[in-house]
Formats: sequence, structure tokens, C-alpha cells
Amino acid sequence: MSDHELSAITVKSVVQKALLGLSPVAESLVAAAVGLVLGAIIMWISGFDPLAAYAALLKGGFTSTYALATAGARAAPLLLTGLTFAICVRAGMFNIGAEGQLYMGALAAVTVAYFVLPPALHVIVGILFGMTAGALWSLIPVLLRVTRGVNEVISTIMFNWISHFLAFYLVARVLVDPLVSSRTIRVPITARFPILIRGTDLSYGIFAAVAFAIVVYILLWHTATGYEVRAAGLNPRAARYGGIKSKRTMVLAFVLGGMGAGLAGATMSMGTPPSYAVLGGLSQIANLGFNGMAVAMVGRNHPIGMLFSALLFGGLAAGARQMQMTAGVPTDMVRIVQGIIVIAMAVPELTRMFRVFRLRWPGLTGRRVES
Amino acid sequence: MQAGEYASPASLLAGETMVQESPSDRETKQGDLFLAAHGISKTYSDGTQALKRIDFEIRHGEIVGLLGENGAGKTTLTKILSGLLPPTEGRVESPRGSVRFANPREAMKFGIGMVHQHFALVGPFTATENVALSYERPFTPIRLGKTREKLEALMAESGLHVPLDVPIEKLAVGEQQRVEILKVMSRDVDLLILDEPTSVLTPLEVDELFDLLRRLRAQDKAVILITHKLKEVQSITDRIVVLRHGELVGDIRTVEATTERLARLMVGQALDSAAGVVELRDEELPIRQKREDSGATGEVVLHVQNLVSRGNTGEIAVDGVSFDVHAGEIFGIAGVEGNGQSELVECLTGLRVPTQGEATIKGTDILGKDPREIYRLGVAHIPEDRWGVGLVLLFTLAENAILGIHRRKQFRRAHLPIIQWSNVRKHVEELMERFEIQAAGTKSPAKSLSGGNQQKLIVGRELAKDPAVIVASQPTRGLDVASAKYIRDLLVDMRNRQRAVLLVSADLDEVLARSDRVAIMYEGKFMTVCRPADLDRETVGMLMGGVTSKEVCVERP
Repeated sequence: MSDHELSAITVKSVVQKALLGLSPVAESLVAAAVGLVLGAIIMWISGFDPLAAYAALLKGGFTSTYALATAGARAAPLLLTGLTFAICVRAGMFNIGAEGQLYMGALAAVTVAYFVLPPALHVIVGILFGMTAGALWSLIPVLLRVTRGVNEVISTIMFNWISHFLAFYLVARVLVDPLVSSRTIRVPITARFPILIRGTDLSYGIFAAVAFAIVVYILLWHTATGYEVRAAGLNPRAARYGGIKSKRTMVLAFVLGGMGAGLAGATMSMGTPPSYAVLGGLSQIANLGFNGMAVAMVGRNHPIGMLFSALLFGGLAAGARQMQMTAGVPTDMVRIVQGIIVIAMAVPELTRMFRVFRLRWPGLTGRRVES
Repeated sequence: MQAGEYASPASLLAGETMVQESPSDRETKQGDLFLAAHGISKTYSDGTQALKRIDFEIRHGEIVGLLGENGAGKTTLTKILSGLLPPTEGRVESPRGSVRFANPREAMKFGIGMVHQHFALVGPFTATENVALSYERPFTPIRLGKTREKLEALMAESGLHVPLDVPIEKLAVGEQQRVEILKVMSRDVDLLILDEPTSVLTPLEVDELFDLLRRLRAQDKAVILITHKLKEVQSITDRIVVLRHGELVGDIRTVEATTERLARLMVGQALDSAAGVVELRDEELPIRQKREDSGATGEVVLHVQNLVSRGNTGEIAVDGVSFDVHAGEIFGIAGVEGNGQSELVECLTGLRVPTQGEATIKGTDILGKDPREIYRLGVAHIPEDRWGVGLVLLFTLAENAILGIHRRKQFRRAHLPIIQWSNVRKHVEELMERFEIQAAGTKSPAKSLSGGNQQKLIVGRELAKDPAVIVASQPTRGLDVASAKYIRDLLVDMRNRQRAVLLVSADLDEVLARSDRVAIMYEGKFMTVCRPADLDRETVGMLMGGVTSKEVCVERP
């Protein structure tokens, strides 16, 4: 055998080891590093100073109380919409609909402005409104899936568009503030999440997000129902054999996921100063659902991992403005960095998903599975 | 190109896509050395020593059986022989040149082809498309027409026939295997390695396969047959190489090999042969009650009346089957796989809804009920598809051990709907102890276990439910001798404890030796229900093939 062939084999095995041999945590860290390094190279090529840019990013997103508070405020809804995606992945499905479910939650929470309640109760009612709206919006695609076999990826994307235009209509025509156009009526003070750190956007909504993550973790890994969801997600045939009704677990995962996205919407309209409303054009809430999918992927679809990935993405979003102001680097550069991180994460994750696929159907289509 | 040029269709097809000279152009004759391994050792990176100083050679025109239990090192050895895995020590040589390849395609170019136990075929594609696919290189057109012509010529030459235009997933497993063999043979290999080829085949298909191997031998091909079936290896091979724990413990000519000697070499324990079944005499196995032919059985536990069910493609798979299983009885269902056994089992375990008939357990109707409701009535189910149905491979041992019983109170924290994982672990540790499951720990994923331990995990989980009825479908398929024996003994033990056991198996020896009564299933019907002692093998063979013998015994109450 020639040296050339030998080295080709060695290189291949080294690459495979690098891709698959790492622990999930190390993988996520490597992906983040790859994203930052490639982002720096792109900045450098585009004529910016990457060091200055990252210094500003760090300053704006991570290294001061103000920065961390802003990062946390950005992270909370991302964590929640990320959980929406993660729960459904664990149940064996792709829920792309967090975006629309979040819109519905945000708008439902705004409606608490139409009645008067004592402070604490008003907040709770707002949360319930948001979560219910998200869950109901999520319920339709999953019911279509379990009764008619409609692919949930298609239906949730379609529902995103429905809710997109529905939200535009509701902002412009229904939940109108008679004094100010271009936004909905404001959530009254009694129903707002208190601000946690004065002068920042960080509200008590962060507690709601973290609490939801903990609930999801306990539910999925420490209850029989969560066990059923995960079993049906990994091997529907074995689940059925084990007496698990996978239609039930699918509906459950979607409803729970919808509650997460709806809660994210509620924390946005009830906890985002100064407007405490849904703005025309949905500028404050647009893309939170989609970015949550990236948070889920980097956090390995695990609530604990996602606490960290949400904070990373929140910090990047918070630092982007600082980066633009002090280093003159456009905020879009942060989106490039985020994109590269997601792609770097996706490489081992996709490889693993392909392996799961082979394990689930080892017979005919798959290759030999070592026992 | 003219028809006359198709003298050796395989080499022609191979030659077109290969850069190298086609191996078939070389002159070989029987007895010429094809491959020799000297002092092969293999230690994996995790420290497992899979092979210890193996010397092995294979010549043209010989069929060598590679015998050994699971984990004896058979797969590792064949991977090294076929150049896909570098040995830690020693070398593999061939008069033909260096034996070291990056992938199976290169190995095939060299003349070594392997047919795995699990096929590498694309389900929705036809045989022609699958073979054409195996030639595929980036950015070159696939020549279906040409592939088809070559396959037809090859089929005529070899006598190996498969439908070329039917999607693979519609073919029987035996036919799929033939497609795999054709695929490899179309590369005109000189060494064909078959990994447990008969485990998925019907007896008739096994005969056909062996005829084919004999023809290949006559064409001076070399064949390595990996197996742990003693009788097969004796009936077809010229030489038998026995591996045990990575060591070569025997390399004997088949004519000199007795069943007892081979079995002794393989498992390293004293063996006796009784009733045509090789049994392990192992004092350490906890349960070793012999099956007593008392004939005294208890009440009817499982009652099935005129059950009819359709299969996955809508055909009538179970066609009016009636039987009773009593407490303290093993009721066996023998027959060639695919004659409705799977569908019957699925109907009885809640995984399929039959079209008509009735089935009761202790008088309670079970048809159309949920798997969980049926388990509550006392049914344990050992499914035939270990990976696809019996286990969630990516779940841990502990998670798998509670599948189906995960809502039991004993695994819950008091007053809370929270799983008490420490209780689950305790349960699993008991299972591991009681059923001799070897695993790194309760948290290791099920896929990391060996096949035997995976099956012990399933069997242990099911038997720990303390069931009244045990439905065991192909419970020992693909297992090593010791694990298979162990599981069979567990089933006999359950029978002796007055449980009703329904044993569905394609392993004739297993089902005939262990059952109190046996039914032979053919095309969805029972051909007969007999005591195994009243059947001779010829009758069984005929019944399995759908031929009604004049001497068929009748059901006794």
C-alpha cells in the first residue's frame, strides 16, 4: 500500500474521531470556537478589525452587569422557543412552528389589557393566555398529523405564515391603541413582568423561562410520561410494543412545545420595556422562534445544555449593537457568526441523526449495525 | 458489442468499471493458495484483544467453515482477511499482492467479496438497480440495461435466480440474500465470505445456497462460511476452523470432524448429543430442569379460535388458525418463516388487529386490545425483531428494562408521578444478576450490549413480569450457543412452573426438542398439531413445504 493511501485512511479516521468522538459539551464548544474564528476571518476579509469587534461584542454581551442582563433578556424567549423545538425532536418530530406559536402567545397576552385584575393575578392570567394560545396554535398541526398523516414540517411552516398575517391584522385592526398607531394596546402595569435590574430589559420573564426549562427536564427524564415521549421518539415500534400510544405522546409534545412558545410570546409583550405591546411589523418578536431552533441544536436538545446556548445566543444578540457602535462592524456580522456556529454544530449532529436513522431501521435499507 | 463476447459476463461488467486488470483473467486452479495469514493478533483501541496469533490460509476451490460463538473473533478475522482492518500484529499475504484496502469496493477489485448477515440493499430499488448502484461512481451514468443483461447471463451461468424487476423490499429474505450474492459475484470475486448466511433462510433455501456454494467450489472459487450451526458446517465445508475467545482452537478437515468434537472445541466444555440437539452440559446454569414428558398439563390459558388476519400488504397471512395452550405446556409453532407466524403473534400481543376469530386469555377476550391491556392480563412477549421492536437501542439498559412496566408503582416516588431511578436501577441489577446479563453498567446504552446480552435483557424483562403466558418469537435467532441454550432453558423452566408458553421458531431442532405439542404452519394454516415424538423429520419437512403427508397425526385434546 502506498503512503498516499495510508495517509488518506488516517486523515479520514482522524476527521471521524474529531466529528464523533467528542462529548456533546466539547462538540458545542468546538462549534462555537469554529464560528468565532471563521467569523473573524470573514470580518478581516471584509476590512474590519476582528479583535476590536470581538472586544466590543464581549463588552456588550457578556462582561458587565448591564451586558449580562441584556443578554439574559434576549436569551429568555430563545430558551423557550428552543424548548419548543427540542421537546418535539425528543418526541421524534420537527416542530418548525414556534415562530407562529410565539406570535399567538404574544397577542393573547396583550388582551389582558381589556380587563382589570389585581397585580399578581393579572400576570398569571397573562401567562396562561399566552401559553394557551401557543398550545392551541400548535395543536392543529399535530392533530392533522395524527389523524390525517399530514407532515408536521409542512403544516407548521404554513401555520407560521397564517399567524404572521393574522398578527399583522390583529395589530392593525383589532388590538388597536386609540392613541398610538403602529403598535397594539399596552399591557397594563398590573400585568407586566417587573424589571429585575433597573435600566435593563431583564424582567422576571427570565425566571419563567428557566422554570419552564426545569419543568421540561423533569417531565422528560423523570416521569413515566416523559419516558414514553422519548421512547416513542427514538423507536415508535418498540414504544408500541411497550404499550405506549405514540399518537398521544406526539400530541403531548406539541402541546407542551406550544406552551413554551406561547410563554415566550407572553414574556415578550408583558416584559419588554418600554412599549409592553406588540409592535407593528412584529419587529421585537420576529425570528425569535426560528433562532430558538439554533439554540436547541447548540444545546443538544437538552434543557440544561440549552440554558447555556440560549445565554450564548442572547449575548451575541446583545453584543451586536455594541459591536456596531464601537467597532463599526455591522450587526449582520453576528448573524454570520451565529450561522457558522449552527452549521458547525450541525455536522456532528446530522451524522448522529443519520446513525439513529440506521439504528431505527437496521434491516433492509441500513448498513450492518455492529452488535 | 456482440453476444459472443459475453462469455464471462461477470468479468466483463467488472472490467468496464475497474481500472485494474480483472482478477478472472488470472489462471487459478484448485489448491492454489489464495490468501495466507501469519500470526495475526488484533487488539482494539479499547483494549479488547479480539484475536491472538492466528494462522490461517485459504485455497482456491475450498469451502472453509469458520465456527465460533458470538464474540469469538470471527468477524474481526474476516475483516482482517479481506484487508479492511489492519492487524495489530502479523501479516496477511497473497500471491496476488498486498492485502490492505480502504473499502469493500477495493477488496472486491482484488477478488474478495463479503455478504453480510444484514444486507446492504436499497428497499425500494429493484435487484438490477441495486447491483447497478454498487458500481456507481460519482458523475458516471448508471447502465441499467447493461447491468440487467450481465445479471441474466450470470443467473443462467450460476443457477441463482432472483426477480430483477421487483423492489427488493417485496422479496423474501432468501431472495434478498441471493441478490446480495449476485451483487458480489458480478464482481467476479475469487473469495466469497458469507456471514451467517443461513440464519435467515428456509431449509429449502439453505439447500439451494449450498448447491450454489458447491458449484462455486467447482469453479475454483474459495468460500469462507461464518456460522455457529454445527450441522451446516459439517454438511458443506471441506475444512473447519474453530475460534474461541480470539484463539484458533481447531483447524480440522470436515471428514474428521464429529459434531461432538466441534461443539467441544467451540464452547470448550463437555458436550453430549441427545435427540439430535447439541446440549451444553453446564453445571453452573441455574435452571437446568429437563423437560419431563409427563403430559400432565393444566387448564387452558390461551385459547385461539378460527383466527384470520391480513399481513402488511393486505394478503391473508393467518388463515383460520385454532389452538389452545395449557398451563405447564410449551406449544410450538414450527414452519418456514413468512407463513403467518409473525402476524399470528402480533394479533395475540396487541400489535395487529385481526379480521376475524377470537382469542382469549383465561376467558378474557384479547383481540384488538392494547399491548398494555394484554400485558396486564399476564402476557409476556419476546418479539422476533430484537432491535426494531424489543429494545430502544439508544436508551440505557435501565430505561430498556422498564419498557412496558414503566408505569408500575414500584418505580415511582411515593405520592409523586416521578420515576425513582434508584428503584429502577435496583430492579435492573437484579435482572442482570438473575439472567446473567453482562454489561458495563445500568447506564450503558442497549446498543453497546452483545446480541446475546440484548436478548437476555428482553427475556429477563418479560419473565420478570411473572406472566401467565409467554409468547416467544424466534427467541434464540442469531445467538451464540450458550445464550441460546440458556434462553431455551428459561422457557422450559417457565413451563415447569405451570406457565403457558407459545414458542414460535424457525429453528426446527429448537421447537421440536422443547415443545410438548407442535403445530406446523404453512401459508397461514396449521398443517398439523402433534406431539414432536410422533413426527419424523421427513414428515416435518414435507409439511413445512405444504405437502400433506398421509401419516399426519391429529390434534389430541
